[in-house]
Amino acid sequence: MRFFRNLFHRQSDPGLSELKDDRLDISRREAVEKQLPLVASLEDNLEMLRAVVGPSSDVITRRLKVGRGRIPAALIHIKGFVDTVLLERITNVLTLGLLESPVGNASRHTIFSEFRDRLAQSSDVMEVTNFDNMWTNLAQGHAAVLFDGTAKALTLNTQGFATRAVQEPASETVIRGPREGFVESIETNVSMIRRRVRTPNLWMEQFTLGDLTRTQVAIMYIKGLASEELVQEVRQRVRRIKIDGILESGYVEEFIEDNPFSVFPTIFRTERPDRVASMLLEGRVAIFTQATPFVLVVPMNFFMLTQAPDDYYEKVPIGAFLRLLRVVGFWMSVVLPGFYVAALTFHNELFPTDLLISISASKEGVPFPVLFEVLVMEMVFELLREAGIRLPRAIGPAISIVGALVLGDAAIRAGLVSPPVVIIVALTAIASFTVPTFSYGIAARLFRFVFIIFGGTFGLFGIQFAFLAVIIYLIGLRSFGYPYFAPAGPLILSDFKDVFLRTWWWSMTKRPFLEALREPVRAAGGRRPRQSIEKEEKEKR
Amino acid sequence: MRVERIANRQMGFIIFMIRTTFIIATLPVLTSGNAGQDAWASALLTLFVTVVIAVGIAALGARFPEMTVIEYSRKLLGKYLGGLISLGFLWLFLHIAATDSRLYAEVLVTGYLPNTPLLFIVSSMVVLASLIVYQGIESLGRLADALIFLFTAFVIASMLVAMRRIDAANLEPVLARGVGPVLSGTITPIAVGAQFIGISMLVPVLTAPKKAVSAAILAALLNGVVLVLAAVTVVGTLGPELGSRTVFPFFLMTRSLELAPRFLERVDVFGTIAWGFGLLIDVTLFLYCGSRGMSQLFGLRDYRPLVAPMAVVWALLAVHGYDDVFEVLALFRPEVIFPYITVIMFVPFLLLWAAYLIRRL
Repeated sequence: MRFFRNLFHRQSDPGLSELKDDRLDISRREAVEKQLPLVASLEDNLEMLRAVVGPSSDVITRRLKVGRGRIPAALIHIKGFVDTVLLERITNVLTLGLLESPVGNASRHTIFSEFRDRLAQSSDVMEVTNFDNMWTNLAQGHAAVLFDGTAKALTLNTQGFATRAVQEPASETVIRGPREGFVESIETNVSMIRRRVRTPNLWMEQFTLGDLTRTQVAIMYIKGLASEELVQEVRQRVRRIKIDGILESGYVEEFIEDNPFSVFPTIFRTERPDRVASMLLEGRVAIFTQATPFVLVVPMNFFMLTQAPDDYYEKVPIGAFLRLLRVVGFWMSVVLPGFYVAALTFHNELFPTDLLISISASKEGVPFPVLFEVLVMEMVFELLREAGIRLPRAIGPAISIVGALVLGDAAIRAGLVSPPVVIIVALTAIASFTVPTFSYGIAARLFRFVFIIFGGTFGLFGIQFAFLAVIIYLIGLRSFGYPYFAPAGPLILSDFKDVFLRTWWWSMTKRPFLEALREPVRAAGGRRPRQSIEKEEKEKR
Repeated sequence: MRVERIANRQMGFIIFMIRTTFIIATLPVLTSGNAGQDAWASALLTLFVTVVIAVGIAALGARFPEMTVIEYSRKLLGKYLGGLISLGFLWLFLHIAATDSRLYAEVLVTGYLPNTPLLFIVSSMVVLASLIVYQGIESLGRLADALIFLFTAFVIASMLVAMRRIDAANLEPVLARGVGPVLSGTITPIAVGAQFIGISMLVPVLTAPKKAVSAAILAALLNGVVLVLAAVTVVGTLGPELGSRTVFPFFLMTRSLELAPRFLERVDVFGTIAWGFGLLIDVTLFLYCGSRGMSQLFGLRDYRPLVAPMAVVWALLAVHGYDDVFEVLALFRPEVIFPYITVIMFVPFLLLWAAYLIRRL
């Protein structure tokens, strides 16, 4: 008898009984849940909900008897996701509002559509017919209304959850420029871009990635400016992602990179909406990920590493000088220690005699070869830096005192390290901090050790070898098919207005050549500021 | 498979860097003739002849924009004769690359790294070059783009510093012994114009193959100017005697310089680095030419499987092909190199031109 009942039951709502089985594994559960349709009976629907979410106490179901016909209904939401004021209003409409309005006379069969068309107090209303869609909306902060007798649910947007306030991003500070940074909510982030780029042609496409986290990922571009092939490529690569969870944009980045083993990042990431906006204006594509303030931008090129947002806001001579300083700083942080080791080990003749004498004098009594000295000091510095980041803020200064005094000063006094090496290491450290996006200094740090080892074993020939190897490596990299080392290799002279220096906005009339091939002109030419027109005409006369 | 393309500009850069590197490396081939103080006149003459060579090679390539020299030589001269001269060209690619890298290694060993085996220096360059060739010809083009400014800056800087010390007396008397020595001084540099053969392999991968000639002319002209300047500077600073007796006069010259006394001395390292850049481009190009040409001769679809064996052969040839640096330089004596290059390259190209013109008629 029981067997027959089970058989019958199973036929009426496939999967539900299966869900009640504790032995069901997650992938099967998900698959079953995807296929659950909403049914006409409210009780069955609520049973389904209980079977799916289990004892989760944050999923709140409010049962009601609405209208004059006392039709059973339910209002479902997830605690902490919704704005309670909006939710109260909906409850109010369902109870009192329905009684006061003519809709309250509606029957079991018509109440759903009557309510949807005449009373639902929300501009963002969706009708869903299966359980999976209803849950997706609930998980985005909607509230769902179910009526007995209708095999559908109505979801109303009541989103309202706490996010971090918009603050200045800690990793990318500027002296002059907007102080806004992205937050952990994709909606806020997107709106920050919309506020900057108001054209309706700023398009956004949304994807849900991660089987279990169901993270929203959105790509954004200016339609008609970004190359269609690029947008198509981004779309395709994002769609290919298949993983159980996406917790940060780093997950997305690793799935869509061109060269997964590359040390240099081939996808740009930033916390600053103004940078994303400016890159969108160059025809690039931005990728937003829910729950992280880091937004990805593609394609990227190598020289974006040394660009800071201030460059574009500060006066040109100053901005240009600072940019140049940063370029020098970057290469210095890569090459300088290696060069010092090479010169001191193999090419003493490079130093003028006096300088060489004073260096040798300070090295007197130091028991280690210079290669070893520099390597050890660089390692010590890297340790200090890493410790400085991980430590609670209160102990941070203590570590720097230990580092500076104990390791630096005492090592010299004890005759373990020569003072020029400390100077070189300190100089390198300072130079490496000039790279505007902090995390990008990491690539330079790794290559620095390669240069030190090659410089110490093969002299300047080793330095040259390492340099050429790095250049060859960079030249072979691509970011979404765009050459990574452009505009230096391939050489694009017109783009050099914004590489090592920056020229005035009125003279940068062209967008980057490769990225904005569709519409190269950015600004009208010949708009250099000058005296008023009358004066000009007077001069002509 | 995607067709790889490089811009005409990039080919110009490649050719310019290869040729200029060779000037830095082996200027003695110019001064060791008996032109003496009139080396500049030889250089000037060489300029015109090399432009003609470059045009001759590029123009024929432009007539066959889809084919490398290996392909059209068989089309023009038939399977056997064409195959024979193709083999000659392939040997030339290998020989140029091996000789150039041997010279470079010799300078490093004599000047900076006396205890390092030649094989190490040569093979490190081979490794880099193979990496680029594996990445494809586009990478070579981009590498030339990326290095051209640094390279030119180093070359110009080392010459500018030297020019302060030119002694006009070293350049006199002008043409005292007539034009005979000047003419004989041009033989070797013209024969070294064989390097332009790289163009014939690059034409089909250009974005605008039909315009290859202008890029080739420009590269040859600029390079000729560097050659004349280098000849004047080296002979002017070192004098004709020392200039012709030294093995690497350009380096002797830069070694004697002080860019900024008491701050940075011995700027010759920068010259060596520029040479290293140029050499990398050089060996990469000829490794590419060699493996691509070989793959076409034997009908392989891709040249990449040939890169590694070619690289090994080339490194061994560079190290064991010559006993010492003087044997390398002996190759550049007019009576050796001119017949060699004539047989292996000039005559085949004349044949190709003749065959082409006969076909057209």
